[in-house]
Parts: sequence; structure tokens; C-alpha cells
Amino acid sequence: MKGYRKYFGKKLIWFLITLVCAVILNFILPRLMPSDPVSAITGKLAAGMSDAAAVREIYERYQEEFGTNKPMIVQFGLFVKNLFQGNLGKSFSQYPREVSDIIASSIGWTVCLQLPAILVGWIIGNVLGAMAAYLRKGFDKVLLPVSIFLGNVPAFAMSVVLLVIFAVNLKIAPIAGGYAHDMIPNFSWPFIKSVISHYQLPFWSIVIISIGGQAIGMRSMSIYELNADYVKYSRFLGIKDSKIVGYVFRNAMLPQITGLAMSIGTMMGGALVAEIIFSYPGLGSAMYKAVVAADYPLISACTLIITVMVLVANFLLDIVYGFIDPRVKAAQVD
Amino acid sequence: MKKMSKLLAMLLAVAMICGMLAVSASATDVTLPREETLYFGGQQWGSVNSWNPVGTNQNNSMAIAGNAGGYRSVMFETLFMFDFLTGEKKPLLADSYEWNEDLTAMTVTLKDAAKWSDGTPVTAADVVATWDVGVLTNNNTGAGFKAYIEGIEATGDKTFVITSKLNDAGQPVNPLKVEDFLTGTPIAQAAWITTLCERNDNDPTKILNDAGEDVVWSGPYTKYYTDDQKVVLIRDDNYWGQDESMWGKLPVPKYLAHNIYADNAATELAFKAGEIDVDQQFLGNIQNLWLEDDLPISTFYEEAPYGVCLTMPTAWYNMNIPVIAENPALRKAIAMAVDYDSIIANAMTNQSPSFSDVPRSLMNPTAGEQALYDHEAVADLQWAGNDIEGAKALLDEAGLVDTDGDGYREYNGEKIHLNAVCPNGWSDWQAAMVIVADAGEKIGVEIVTEFPEWDIVQTRFTDPDQTDYAIFMWSPDSASPSMPWGRCNQFLSSQFVGLQNNWSGNWGQYVNEEADKILAEIPLTTDQDKLVELYTELVKIYLTDVPSFSLMYRPSLFHAVNETVWTNFPSADDGRNIPPADCTDGYGIAALYELELVG
Repeated sequence: MKGYRKYFGKKLIWFLITLVCAVILNFILPRLMPSDPVSAITGKLAAGMSDAAAVREIYERYQEEFGTNKPMIVQFGLFVKNLFQGNLGKSFSQYPREVSDIIASSIGWTVCLQLPAILVGWIIGNVLGAMAAYLRKGFDKVLLPVSIFLGNVPAFAMSVVLLVIFAVNLKIAPIAGGYAHDMIPNFSWPFIKSVISHYQLPFWSIVIISIGGQAIGMRSMSIYELNADYVKYSRFLGIKDSKIVGYVFRNAMLPQITGLAMSIGTMMGGALVAEIIFSYPGLGSAMYKAVVAADYPLISACTLIITVMVLVANFLLDIVYGFIDPRVKAAQVD
Repeated sequence: MKKMSKLLAMLLAVAMICGMLAVSASATDVTLPREETLYFGGQQWGSVNSWNPVGTNQNNSMAIAGNAGGYRSVMFETLFMFDFLTGEKKPLLADSYEWNEDLTAMTVTLKDAAKWSDGTPVTAADVVATWDVGVLTNNNTGAGFKAYIEGIEATGDKTFVITSKLNDAGQPVNPLKVEDFLTGTPIAQAAWITTLCERNDNDPTKILNDAGEDVVWSGPYTKYYTDDQKVVLIRDDNYWGQDESMWGKLPVPKYLAHNIYADNAATELAFKAGEIDVDQQFLGNIQNLWLEDDLPISTFYEEAPYGVCLTMPTAWYNMNIPVIAENPALRKAIAMAVDYDSIIANAMTNQSPSFSDVPRSLMNPTAGEQALYDHEAVADLQWAGNDIEGAKALLDEAGLVDTDGDGYREYNGEKIHLNAVCPNGWSDWQAAMVIVADAGEKIGVEIVTEFPEWDIVQTRFTDPDQTDYAIFMWSPDSASPSMPWGRCNQFLSSQFVGLQNNWSGNWGQYVNEEADKILAEIPLTTDQDKLVELYTELVKIYLTDVPSFSLMYRPSLFHAVNETVWTNFPSADDGRNIPPADCTDGYGIAALYELELVG
């Protein structure tokens, strides 16, 4: 038990150090962009004004409001203080809207799009990969090139292809949005149907790509395991094939589980392309608009969520691995 | 496999339910009836933040927006509506206005019928309160007009006087800008402003940031539903404008809706699919939509340039760079060599008149502005472009020649090397900058293009000390009662030189005292002949010194309509003289009262 405590303690310390570094980078990196978001807001407000002094006053008011006229270190202090109070600040690009409000209204869409897509892609990909390794012959010959092809199609290309085929040409899927353009959200069957139909293209654009990658990984791992000494020994002992296959897949799954945890950790950023192409109202779209508008508070908040999720996923994985495979714990404690 | 299918089905079901829970269910109707809803595109790009007409930066383009075509008066109304086709100010909340002789005071009379949504009449006290809170908070009204307006005083329930701010000589600073107040300022209710100020302890920032959910309005529509995907306004059937003294009826569509798309491409797809009726975005080769795709799409003019061009995207020379500042011949030679017809044909897909059709000056192509200068007097100074030999001769004459035989001209022993910059992704502007660089190549001046991201460009070109961009693109303002003075001021006034975060004008830092004098004289001049004389002088200075050169004419508002559901939109030859201002802006809102359902 002492070994476990030491292992967890070490992991926790690294987790905290990484978190602190990540928070600092989250703050600094967006602010290193050679742009001035307050200038952009001023430009929007000052359109048509010919009094130069008035424009200057507007600029200075927003500088004061956002604190961008203060030294970077003071701004960082305020950022951390607000962070501890759960205050992510006001968005520059959607001012005076709170960043937390923007995230709250978009995160649900992203989780509902990404989580099932990652899981479905992972499950189908792994099943197909395992089948290819086990069945080989024709199945493998077809699956491998198809998986390589699908796994390497860029996300935006897959989204555009699906959009053009199913929405523009065949007109059997909606073009954009999370629900029909002529609807007001309501808990009714027509609205539910509308949400489901708008879900299809962004969902499958993510799933199809992830199936390819997962299938290739699982196939390679399974082939490796199928040739391992313990498999040959088990066969020699006369253990049933189905039992052996169970052993093989359980071992082959280990790296795939790591991949799944990482995918879930990065899912907030992963939805960016599909959300933009399908005008889907999630966090990816919000983050894209924030980057384009140099909206520091919103960028920092989005990247912070991604960072924390990746760190938590990593941490949990390390903990779980410590239990599953004592060799990992032993190696790290040593 | 059976287990797997069950698991998949469960996951999808959970996703659907979560998706539905993610959106609020506050409104009662599920579907907006198509035959009662007018859909817009290209105006609203993010969620609505506020309904407060006193506040600023609400990102509420459907309800609170000042545009090139006039203020958007669907929910909050201005005193007059600007008609950019004629330059007239058409009565809305106000009936009439009258200047005194020396332009120091303007008396305005409000319409008797004008009422707020709560049934109370619109009075002079409302205008005074709107002005006072503008000055208190320094919002767009206060910041935009306090340099020109001394104050506003009620002289009766329905009359008030706007007093001009005076300069040191005792003359009004700028009566033209005072007239902009009439068409550019949404009037808010005095009683609501009092409530707003009280609940925010008269703190200017809090007042500006108040979401204004309880706002009182005077326009024909009000808020109905908003989320991250759409904003919907609903008609107020008690709207005062049904009175015979105004429209005499209600606007036709019950709902005005705008879905929020990710980008232009998504908006264009929806427009083509008939999900958008009125689209405010640049569509390249728009004529192909009806000629080749056979879609029921139309524009204000049946032929090119299809829209009313009100502004002129311009290449500005940076006078902080010595070779540019010290060589007017270089500035003019580059401008003469540019192939504008190619820019108009390729970048604008002919949605601009050519500089042969509308010779360059400081004016946009509208008849009203073109009549303000003597065309013959400046004809020798104008150029239509692609004049390579003329440009070369000008450079040779100025002593800017290639002495080392590398194909490029030198100045003070160094090769002239300039960059031409505009934001990345602004494809029509990028194409124009490439053609400017080609022109440089043809006359022996090295010009390279650079396309940084917009958020970087806007920070650099508004910096008065920058030397990073030698030639850069930006548009002057388009149409308002104070035009073309305002645009001339942006092109030539030294008022903006050295101004940090300069969004106002003269981005190249050009100085000309003679131009400054004329610019100060024009707002105080009422004699038409004298005005023409002054504007002609300005055009001469501009075409001689060439501190910048316009690359094309361009609509400020694009106005394409899909007539799948609605028809009878404004068009050039329909005799109604309603400007193509997206059925919402300035006098363009008159279109909402004339729409008909197809069939």
C-alpha cells in the first residue's frame, strides 16, 4: 500500500506542476499574438465617427474595462484571482457577454456530438481491426486499405464531402445548424426529429475518420499478440480458440484504451472542423471565432478546459494503470 | 454483436436527449410559419448580447445597428430615415426640421402619432434623455456627436432644439454632422432611461453593459427568441406606424429571423437553398445564380453592377515611408499603372462600375455626389488605369530610374521596394492587391503582396507610426447626410494624423493645409455653386497628390433576394425609389410594407 501511496503522490505532484505551467501558458500564449482586440472593438463602434478624440475615448474606455492597459503581470494576477472565484471574465468579441455563459451554452452541443462519435468510432474501429487480424484473408485485404484511406482523410475534407453529397446534391440532410432553420427549440417530437437529423452529418464525419485510425491500431496490436509465445503455448495446451482470442484482445486493447482516454481528453478541441463546416453551435465554433477575433478570455477559457481534461484523463489513466498493471507502478516508483 | 448494437443505440439515444436538453425550451411555437417569416443572412454573426439601445457593442445586428444604408429601425427608431438613393431624410419619429440662418440651432418637430410600445407618446423629453444619457455614458451617440452638438433642449411636448457646438470663431463646428444625428441615433424612452440609470447607480459602464431585457421600443418589431443559432423578432401589431401619417399599415412579415451561420460559405448555401430571403454578403458572379443555376434570385439592378455602389475600397500610401512621402510621381505612377478593369472583372466579378464609366474623384457613383464637382475641370488629372507607358514616363521625368540594370528603379541609390497588404481571406481585396503588385512589376517598382490575419492588420494600420505596410487597403465610409464631406475628410484631413488607434480616417498620415481649410469651409457652406467649387478643389488636390487611390466601387450593403417565398422586393425600375438596404435600414425599411407572398 505504501508503494501505491508513493506512486499516487508522485503522479499528483506532477499533475499539479503541469497544471500550473498550463495555466501560465494559457494566459500568455494568446496575448503574444501581435494584435490588439480592443482596437477591433473600437473600430466596430467608431464606424462613421469623424471626431478623432471621441474614438480615442472609446478605445481608452475599453482598455480600462478589459485591463489591457495594465502590465502583463498585473493582468495575470487578476486572471488567477478571477479563476479561483470561477470568473472567466467577459468575452472581447461578444462583449459584454460572460465567457462562462458562452461556454455553458455551447459545451452541451460539443459533448453530445463528440462523446458518442468518439465512442462509436472507437468501438466499431476496434471490432473491425480485431476481426481483420483474426479472420485475415479477404476481410483484411479490403479493410486495411480502406482503413488507411479513411484514417488519413483530413477532417475538413470528410465534412465537406458529406455536406456536398448529402445536403447539397441529394438534399436528404440539412445544410447547417443544430436544429432546423425555421424552428424554435421546444420539447416536441418535430423538434427532436430536427435535432437528430442535424446531428447526422457532423457525427458521421467524425466517426468515419476515427474508425479508420482505430481499426489500423487494433489490427496491428492483435496480429502482434496472436503471434506471442503465450498464444502458442495456450494452443499447445489445447485451450479453446475462443478463450485464447479473449486473452489476445484484452492485451491488444491496452494501448487502445490509452488512445480512447486521450481522445476524450482532447474532444473539446477536436470538434472544431465539423462544427465550423456544419455551423454547429458548439465549443469548437466558439473557439474558432475567439481565435479569429483575438478574444483572449474566451481562448484562454477554451484551452484551459482542454488542458484540464487532458491532464485529468492522463492522471486517471496513470492511476488506473497502476492498479491494472503493477509493473507500471513498480517501474515508476523505482 | 447484439450487445454492441444495443450499446450503440443507447449511446445515440443519450446523445439526442442531451442535445435537446442543451437548448432551452422557452418559446411556445415550434416552427415559424414560412409564409409569415422573412429570413435574413449575412448580418448577424454571433449571439445577441443585449437589447439596450443606449448600450454599445451589443452584437445585436437585427435590432440595434447603424449601417451604411441608414440606421436599422425595425425595433428602435430614429427621427428620420436616410435614403441613400436620393440623399433625403424621410420623416419617421419626427415630421420636420429647420435650421436657423447661421446654422447654430435646429428646431425639430416630432410626429403626433409616434408612440412607445407601452402606449405613451414619443416626446421631446425622450430625445433630450437619449442625448443626456449618451453624454453621461459616452456611448456612440455621446462620443459621436458631442464634438458637434452643444445640447438638446425641449421647447414643447413635440418640439426641441439642437444647438450646434461653436468653434473659436463663433461658427458652428459642423452642421452636417448635426444632421447625421437625425438619421443615425435611435431614440430611447425617457422613463426607461431613468429606470436604467437608477438600477445601475448612474455608473456609465454598468449602464452600457445592461442587457436591457425590459426595454420599451417604438418600432414595428420586438424580440421574440434568441439563442446561439438564431435571433427572431416578432411584429408588434400595436405599432404606431399604422397611423395614416406614417405607413398607414403594418409591415407584411410577422417574423424577421436570422440564423447564425459559421461563415459566408454556409450562408451562401442556405441562400441558394431558399432558407434565406434577403442576403447581405458578397456573392461572386451573382448573375450565374439566375442565368446558370436558374434560381429565383435577383438584385436591385438586373445588369452589372447589380447593387448600388456607395463606397470605394482604397489603397492607402503610408507617408511614414520616405520614398512614398517624398515622391508624388511614384504614388501617381503606381496608381496609373494598375489595371482597374481587371480588378473589377476578377475581384468584384463586375459588381462595380469601371473608372471609365465613373471617373475617379472623391465621390461615390451616386448621381447626387457626382453632381458635386466640376468633371471637366479635373478631367486632365483623372486616370482610368493600365497606363504603363504614361506611368513609366512620369517616373523617368521624376528621376526615378533603374541605374544598376536589375529591372527595378532606385531612389537615393536604393531599389524601391514596397509591400501591398490586406487581410488574409478577404479574397476580392487580395486579388486587387496582386494586381497592384503586377502594376509595380510592369513599371519597374518592386511591390510584394502580404496577407496577414485581420486581427494583426487592424492593429497595424490604425497605428499612426507604423512603417510595416507601405500600401494597404481600407474602405472609407459610404453614405450618410454628411457625405461626401465625411469621406473627403477621411481621405484628406490632417485631423487624424498622429492619432493612436485611428479608425477615423487618413490612415496614410497625409498632410495638406489647403485641403484642411476647404474641409473646414464645406460644412458651413449652403450655396450650391460654392460647394461645387470647393469640392472640385479638393478633387484636384487629391488627384494631384495621390495620397491614396481607390481600386473599385463597391456596395456597402449587398442586397440579393431569393424570391422562392416572398416577392416585390425593391428594384431599380419599379418606380418606388426604395433603396436596396436589406428591407431594414434607413428608408430601405419601406420594403417590409410592400412585400408579397409568391403566388
